[in-house]
Amino acid sequence: MNPSPSQIDFRTNTQQVSRQMVTSVRKATTRFLGTRAGVVGQVANWEELREAGHNIRLHAINHLDHYLELMERRVTEAGGHVHWARTAAEAREIVLSIARQHQVKLVVKAKSMATEEIGLNHALEAAGIRALETDLGEYIVQMAGTGPSHIIVPAVHLTKEEIATLFSEKLHMDAPADPIRLAEIARQKLRQEFIAADLGISGANFLVAETGTLVMVTNEGNGRMCTTLPRVHVAVAGIDKIVPDWESLTVLLKLLARSATGQKITTYTSFITGPRRSEAEQGPQEFHLVLLDNGRSLALGDPLTRETLLCIRCGACLNVCPVYNHVGGHAYGWVYSGPIGSLLSPQLLGSKIAGDLPFASSLCGACGDICPVKLPIPQILLHLRRRVSEGDEIEPAISSRFARWGARVGAIVLTRPWLYRLTCSLLKLVQVPFRRDGWLPALPPPLNRWTMSRPLPVFNARFRSWWSQHQSTLKRS
Amino acid sequence: MGDSRETILGNVRGALGRAPGAPVSSRPPLVAARVPGSRDAEIDRLLSEISALTGVARRVPAGQMDSALQELVHSQSVRKATLWSTSRLEQLGLVSRLGSLGVEIVSPDAGAAALADVDLGITEADFALPETGTLGLFSSPTQPRQVSLVPRIHLAIVHPSALRADLHEVFAEAKQRHYMVFVTGPSRTADIELTVTIGVHGPKVLHAWVVD
Repeated sequence: MNPSPSQIDFRTNTQQVSRQMVTSVRKATTRFLGTRAGVVGQVANWEELREAGHNIRLHAINHLDHYLELMERRVTEAGGHVHWARTAAEAREIVLSIARQHQVKLVVKAKSMATEEIGLNHALEAAGIRALETDLGEYIVQMAGTGPSHIIVPAVHLTKEEIATLFSEKLHMDAPADPIRLAEIARQKLRQEFIAADLGISGANFLVAETGTLVMVTNEGNGRMCTTLPRVHVAVAGIDKIVPDWESLTVLLKLLARSATGQKITTYTSFITGPRRSEAEQGPQEFHLVLLDNGRSLALGDPLTRETLLCIRCGACLNVCPVYNHVGGHAYGWVYSGPIGSLLSPQLLGSKIAGDLPFASSLCGACGDICPVKLPIPQILLHLRRRVSEGDEIEPAISSRFARWGARVGAIVLTRPWLYRLTCSLLKLVQVPFRRDGWLPALPPPLNRWTMSRPLPVFNARFRSWWSQHQSTLKRS
Repeated sequence: MGDSRETILGNVRGALGRAPGAPVSSRPPLVAARVPGSRDAEIDRLLSEISALTGVARRVPAGQMDSALQELVHSQSVRKATLWSTSRLEQLGLVSRLGSLGVEIVSPDAGAAALADVDLGITEADFALPETGTLGLFSSPTQPRQVSLVPRIHLAIVHPSALRADLHEVFAEAKQRHYMVFVTGPSRTADIELTVTIGVHGPKVLHAWVVD
């Protein structure tokens, strides 16, 4: 996946979705929603938890400057290093310079959307440093040369047969289409890499400002390997990951795993404050935290878009979204997909690049209903649609030249009855070569952006003739 | 670098309309903590939650330690073991008990490559949360981090004094420490077609023994 796309064309992307992918995605999302409903049903005060989660996240975001400074102070006191990155490029440069300083040859990575967002692997490889994803799903998509198609299960779009073929080709072995044996192969291969790696890179699920603690939730144990065995640990985290204190986690941890995978809690939750204090206790000698802005502070400006930053990346809105279920994650053109991708991409990349995405929604509202921190996703989608067509204080309008030109021509035609009648007769003739049984299934560009998704009914323009006939019938009777 | 820090904090403050050092309102209220059951009920809950995650959870009375170890060593073909040196584990005399079963004891300092070849790592839970079947482990010179991670089997000894009702209680104590890991069942993944697979990168087998 392109780490910094110049234009996301959602409709064109959806044309490349295979039927197999849709089946795989739907199977997975149905399972996720089923297990989630089971565990959420066991929590008597789920709605109370959601409300508290929303309020805590909003409080953190509303006082972000205070908590960021506190986080920095506490990490430094604990012997760690804090770096600030305005952009993806700055973040990559910070990680690269740490890697160069330690003459790093091999990096092992825990699953992290922030490092996907900044395209860190490409930058490391370009600098001659081998970077290896170690989460099974990420290991698979890295091998396939694509990006994750789901926040929680990156390789959800692939079948076990496709993964077996991939392993056989890339690892030069005979890999069976059996999930358990494929996982065993990954375990064997990656063991040696964890032991050999010089640098471990992780993301963060939460940053606890009170004590400068990084909280990471994982299931496989690869996240623990990456943050325990290499001598240096670098964590890359969005500035929005901040929570005030440990007590806040009592609410957020209960919401996260249940919403994400339908687990009560994930297998491992690591709470890391700075580097190790003594050699005997083991763990990295050096701890670096890269705080990434990359457009987040822009979203803060408006009280509504600000709530985008409440997201705890559970992926529940993807699972429940009818659009995501039809097209999978890659159609969204960047690392974040589904409803939350439609909010994040236009705000982090700009509407000019990702202005298509807020329109890739039926506004059914299921995403907002399922969100564990009560993010008003449909309302923010509507706001971003308005920004795309009307602009606001952050970004100018970006409605296409074709749309503006079309509206102008429309105004001229519709205000001149003689021209309107002429145009109607002309259109009836022009459409003849495209007609198929009362429908126009395919039109030339730029009108194909409509017919890519559905046929257009033929243009009849019969009202005037019908009306005059109707009037004369009335008169006669 | 310093530039980026000032720019980001400046942008954040500008967007939020906050002056540097502006006051912070108090954090919104939390949800009330869980009320624990009786000690026996809490232990039963812990064991059933861990078992539900394919962990092997059981009570091991003092007199049955040898037979429990023997069963584990034989059923899992344990040849090498490594362990924490906390006072409770030393009181249990695990080194000599394992030695008499023919198990070689490897030092936790042996390095990750050597520990990858070790079958069994033994730790002691600092906390246990019955509601989710979660064990909390700190790190210190006597509690090295690799022991619960690298060997194929993880055995955690749980003393009932480690039981806590809820995360609230655990966090009140744990926030003073610089490292903690929660372990809830053996390592798992569902990344391939959502098929649950036990034992990816972490231990494939988790034993939790409640010892009085």
